[in-house]
Amino acid sequence: MAALLRGLRAGRVLRGLSSVIAAPTTTNPQLSSLRRGFRCAALRLQDESKSDKSTSFSSSSSSSSSTTTHHEHYQANSAEHNSEAASQHDFDPSAAEGTKISDQEQDTEYETEEQLHARILAAALEFVPQHGWSMEAIAAGAESLDLSSASTGMFTNGAGDLVLHFIAQCNANLTEILAEQHNQVQQGQVEPKKTAEFLKDAVETRLRMYIPYIETWPQAMSILLLPHNIPDSLKHLSTMVDDIWYYAGDRSTDMNWYTKRAALTGIFNTTELVMLQDSSPDFQDTWSFLDNRVQDVVNMATTAKQVQATGEAVVQGLMGAAVTLKNLTGLNQRR
Amino acid sequence: MQRAAHVASCSWPQIVKPAMIRHSLKCRAPLQHSSRAYSVVPPPRDDDERDAVHRMLRVDHAGEYGANRIYAGQMAVLGRSRTGPLIQQMWDQEKKHLAKFNEILAENRVRPTALLPFWNIAGFVLGASSALLGKEGAMACTVAVEESISEHYNSQIRALMENDPERYFELLQVIKEFRDDEMDHHDTGLEHEAESAPGYWLLKNVIQLGCKAAIYASQRV
Repeated sequence: MAALLRGLRAGRVLRGLSSVIAAPTTTNPQLSSLRRGFRCAALRLQDESKSDKSTSFSSSSSSSSSTTTHHEHYQANSAEHNSEAASQHDFDPSAAEGTKISDQEQDTEYETEEQLHARILAAALEFVPQHGWSMEAIAAGAESLDLSSASTGMFTNGAGDLVLHFIAQCNANLTEILAEQHNQVQQGQVEPKKTAEFLKDAVETRLRMYIPYIETWPQAMSILLLPHNIPDSLKHLSTMVDDIWYYAGDRSTDMNWYTKRAALTGIFNTTELVMLQDSSPDFQDTWSFLDNRVQDVVNMATTAKQVQATGEAVVQGLMGAAVTLKNLTGLNQRR
Repeated sequence: MQRAAHVASCSWPQIVKPAMIRHSLKCRAPLQHSSRAYSVVPPPRDDDERDAVHRMLRVDHAGEYGANRIYAGQMAVLGRSRTGPLIQQMWDQEKKHLAKFNEILAENRVRPTALLPFWNIAGFVLGASSALLGKEGAMACTVAVEESISEHYNSQIRALMENDPERYFELLQVIKEFRDDEMDHHDTGLEHEAESAPGYWLLKNVIQLGCKAAIYASQRV
């Protein structure tokens, strides 16, 4: 019993701690074992505390948090849980409270861990202007969903998860917008845009998604550049650039595939940096910068094409000269 | 009893055949395209499958591209000789293959291999240098390359058949058709005295080793 009480107290301390600073130092196995003990404590306490009002209040509040944390635990080892639950039913003759809790668990069971992650992170975005890209924002988001702020322990990558989630969401939005435009063009409702204009609009649309968070965006960029986040952030960047080119109608399967994507990545990243320092109304300077860079690339492409055409003409001229020379020297007989 | 079995065995093909013919007709008809939302490659079920299929298409595309460059190199040297039309004919088929893979790659948003400029030069040099050994040298090069490519296609067909032949029906058709074309080129090469090329055994093995290395690299990069 003393151990249970200690467990409960530890849980409370953890909750208190994590609402101030999230507990990234707590390692996972410790946390899950703590959670398990915590949940057992809550269950037992609810059975015992039917008479005691104050205790029942505290236990119900902690049980609500335990169900949510328990949920992801359930995902991890449901088999273990099942046997546990069964044994609990066996031992508790008056398992009214227990069944109620397991009913709640049944409701949340339909939500996968990823969905819960996404829900918490989406809620956390509201608190980003206030708390920055940090565990505090995630904790605040979790609390706004009536979840325990201890659920931040689910996010092993902390603030990185939040930023990557935001980027993924922006990319998904952009893809949706571009796909819709693509459909409209295909149905003939809208005139197809020129490629340069299309690229400019797409990048502008995408960058405008940063505007609500522009004050804290430098912090997010620095988080994205942390070594352990680089693979994911590169992946998101490359898929975004690929999506834009796909909807711009690019079907190249040669080295153009690479040069086009590299050019657009460069445009996007430089424009993003310009945007951070832009103080003009509605980021007008950024968009004119973007326009100029896109024009640069278009000019470069035409120059490259001209150079290539010239080169081919020169090669053909040389070949012609060689054939003439061969004819003159009599080497050009059919073998 | 025997007669009954005989009758059954006789009538069996009659029952089966029309159904099979109908089945194969249905598969060949353009209707297939509308009943399935894709033309050649089915939409992947998960990331692993997508990666595997993309790797496959990427290396096939690189292979056809390299073969094109080899024939271009051979034509640059032997284009005006008597074997010119023969090489041109094989080259035209390879061009069709490459066009098909270009289409498939674009449609499925597969990244082409980053080694294309290298294959461009290496293929041309291989074609031209083998052609400089004479007509037999060019044919020996064709035999070696086409053998490697058809072996590679065969292993892909095996992998796809193991995986899910129904799902990859269209892709299998494409690969099988190309494999047969490559085998034709291989046989054409042998018919035209490939084996009398100087250092045939060495030439063939070196080229095939190079092809294997190219396949390995193109799948990954």
